[in-house]
Amino acid sequence: MNLLRYIAGRLVVYVLVVIFALTVLFFVPRLGPTDPVEAMLAKVASQGAYMDAAQVDALRQSLADTFGLDGSLWDQYGAFIKRIVLTADFGPSLSMYPTPVMELIRNALPWTFGLLLSSTLIAWVLGNFVGLLSGWKPNSTSSRVMEGIAICLYPIPYYILALLLSILFSYIWKIFPLTTTIRGAPWSWELITSVVWNSFLPAMSIVIVVFGWWVISVKAQTTALKEEEFVRYARLKGLSDGRILSRYVLPNAILPQITFLALQIGLMFNGSLITEILFDYPGLGLLIYTAVLQGDFNLLMGTISLSVIAVATATMIIDLIYPLLDPRIRHR
Amino acid sequence: MTTTQFPKRRGRSTLMAMALAITLGGTMLTTATMPSFAQQMTDVGTPRAETLIVDMLNARVGNPTNMNMYQQGVTINQGYHQMAGALLYDIDTAKGSQIPDLAAEMPVANADFTVFKVALRQGLTWSDGQPFSADDVVFTDQMIRNTPALSYSSAYAAQIASVTKVDANTVEITTTKPTPRLAIVLGSVIYGNPFHVVPKHVWEKEDPATFTNFPPVTISAYKYKDSDPNGTWFLWEKRQDWQNSDVGQIVGEPAAKYVLFRSYGTEERRVLAMAANDIDILTDISPESLDILRNQNPKIHAWFNDFPYANLDDPCERGMHFNTSKAPYDDAKTRWALALAINAEQASIATFSGMLRASPLAIPPTTVLMDTYHKPMAQWLAEFALEDGYKPFDPDYAVRLGERLRSEGVAGIPEDAEALRNLLGVGWWKHDPEEATKLLKAAGFTNDGGPWLKPDGTPFTINILAPADFEVESQRLAFAVANEWTQFGVPTQVQQMQAGAFFTAENTGDYEVGSYWGSSCAITPDLFVRMEGWHKDYVRDNGTPSSSNQARYVDDELSALIDKLRAIPADDPQIVPLGTDILKELVQGLPAIEMFGTSKFVPVNETYWTNYPSAENYYEGPWWWWSNFKFIAAKLKPAAQ
Repeated sequence: MNLLRYIAGRLVVYVLVVIFALTVLFFVPRLGPTDPVEAMLAKVASQGAYMDAAQVDALRQSLADTFGLDGSLWDQYGAFIKRIVLTADFGPSLSMYPTPVMELIRNALPWTFGLLLSSTLIAWVLGNFVGLLSGWKPNSTSSRVMEGIAICLYPIPYYILALLLSILFSYIWKIFPLTTTIRGAPWSWELITSVVWNSFLPAMSIVIVVFGWWVISVKAQTTALKEEEFVRYARLKGLSDGRILSRYVLPNAILPQITFLALQIGLMFNGSLITEILFDYPGLGLLIYTAVLQGDFNLLMGTISLSVIAVATATMIIDLIYPLLDPRIRHR
Repeated sequence: MTTTQFPKRRGRSTLMAMALAITLGGTMLTTATMPSFAQQMTDVGTPRAETLIVDMLNARVGNPTNMNMYQQGVTINQGYHQMAGALLYDIDTAKGSQIPDLAAEMPVANADFTVFKVALRQGLTWSDGQPFSADDVVFTDQMIRNTPALSYSSAYAAQIASVTKVDANTVEITTTKPTPRLAIVLGSVIYGNPFHVVPKHVWEKEDPATFTNFPPVTISAYKYKDSDPNGTWFLWEKRQDWQNSDVGQIVGEPAAKYVLFRSYGTEERRVLAMAANDIDILTDISPESLDILRNQNPKIHAWFNDFPYANLDDPCERGMHFNTSKAPYDDAKTRWALALAINAEQASIATFSGMLRASPLAIPPTTVLMDTYHKPMAQWLAEFALEDGYKPFDPDYAVRLGERLRSEGVAGIPEDAEALRNLLGVGWWKHDPEEATKLLKAAGFTNDGGPWLKPDGTPFTINILAPADFEVESQRLAFAVANEWTQFGVPTQVQQMQAGAFFTAENTGDYEVGSYWGSSCAITPDLFVRMEGWHKDYVRDNGTPSSSNQARYVDDELSALIDKLRAIPADDPQIVPLGTDILKELVQGLPAIEMFGTSKFVPVNETYWTNYPSAENYYEGPWWWWSNFKFIAAKLKPAAQ
């Protein structure tokens, strides 16, 4: 019964968070300083099209109709919620009209997921492994070297690191491409190798930066756990180091790392803004960037709504599976 | 937002420039160890020596499989606009005049400019082999007119009443009102024009509101070959029947078999790509990046080989634009005071290290317009006096700036005064804080040793609206001017905005002072296209979007002059005298402090291709992103192997 109440409570919070977030997302851009119609008109004007004032006024009205920006805010809000709830349709992108927002997201999502999922998991596994060993045997040479590398890499500003990698591996030694150039038929070997080849440098830049954080955080956990009474008891029982580490320390040290990993995976729906801009990588981050620059309400709402829903869902899933992982919560 | 520091973007740009310069130092091996031309392939599988690679304006394309140019939001500057499409009329930027493109000659009008005979170029075919004819033009007219879902439809129908076929190669165009400049309405003057003739045999089977036009059937010398589904590159291939294209008839056979438009993303990457010979033509970069490129690769050059490197013939100039409907900027004395509070030499150096051509007039100081207006008006400018008799013009601006730059060790600065004026401008307004103080006091401002107070008794501070993510010259100029005005005693800050927010603020009048181009654009001696924007009829209340005259400037005499200009065709002998009168009126009222032409740092790489236009080879301006780029591309020659 307690468990059911726990699950129901989490689900209610989840729904409320999502509705609140969608509402905020709808109103905030509309209360901001950007009118997408004016932005589009300025684009037309800056591209040299000659129209007299009457023609531009006609175009202005036509764009407002096309973009669905006519009517009061409440009318637009009602239509928006109805569309999202019933059809999960965010309408057409205003800056890339008439392409539907969902189509743009669908195209960008695999790129972001492929890049971030692989790099996050690699960094998570490597970082936790190295951090665990460093925390367990802090005075060994290998621990010191690995920790030293992590501490050196962690504070480097990402932008500088990514640029440095590009200069070294794309310009001085032309190993990887300077920009994303994907070729090959769908699901062909050429396409797969092309994607991996093009994603390697962006992924490496993420792994290098994130790796340091995992090392430092799990090392701190391990160092503290090592001194806990239950670990001392295990040692007195004569258990091997490997067994103590895998059965006593690791399960406790890894819990917060799993929570954080889940949030990281939820945040993937944000894309990796700087990585994608720097490497011209066609993911969600670039889409969000475009939406902000162009005042593209629909695209902005589509991408950020997805991110909000993903983070809320990831948090809810973690909340629901935590009792399975941590008996203290199960028994509370 | 600060008045004493460079904008963040410049800081970042300088930092990146330094990082790039340091890291790239000593890496000339990269170019020295290149394999032979014949062996090299591009990463899209074409022979490098046969491929012209062009930087894509506005980076990657979000909807790459849509090339329906009539749908708002669809980008066609992935090469369709520059290489594959054609307009009825295009622009010769070196001469500053329009030329017939799909049309065989300029339109022939009746007496009241409402009916035009337009002869079409003969012998053209579409890329699928179908002939181009009057039927295509008539169909395009009908399609736009009868498809209200196309945003351009209502605007087009408001101007063009009908297009009818006279014979296979001639159409008659009727306008809704006297239109002495039909070629401007349906052809390019700056960048392009929304009126694209489409192939009837393709589009008549489709709904133009939803048709994606992909891959497109093209009319110019290149056809679509391949592209990246993510929109980072687009490959165009020379048509085998290039003789049947506009370019084939006007210029001849283009040498490049392929033209690859591609995005490299951030400026740092674009610079790396050109330094590595991976790209032949770049769109705008910063002067710091150009410096790196010139040092890295001897095959790279900009418009000038020496100072000021940049092309100075951009058709829009930059300056400080006022919302003249808002106090205290509604008083010309205030605007003049602020102009005289600026040290233009200092602003030029702070903005682009002096690599700018000054202009006191409301048109850019391009080569053509300098000869037509700036130089002939120099005498008038020297004699021009404000209400109090003060003569504000400083004809020695260029001479002083030249001396200063020379004394700072800048090479390539001419010694001759006339050459300096040709290079840096005929002159600008004096830097005279004393006269500025006098004018402000005459406008009702007070200053008793402390901060300036406005006529209503409140402190006088200025907020300059400036671009955040585009137009680097306007960004830097805003900070330079803010510094000048703060030094004069008026605390000034810069508010940077992203493009969408910036243009919303500009159009709705939600600003007091803005750093951008406003109405100050022109390329031909006929100034009508943008000067029309100063007409009082276009003034709207603040809060209501304005299509033109975002300065909300009302000047009856100026509006009357614009009406006179409107009534005559572009080749009328009164064009220049009327243009001159308009410019004089704008100097007197000074609704905007015009400052500098736009310096475009648009480098080219001569490793694979030569005969790019340049200051020494001025057959066209370096406008790679305009519709007339196809004529430039056709004149490029393969580099000696």
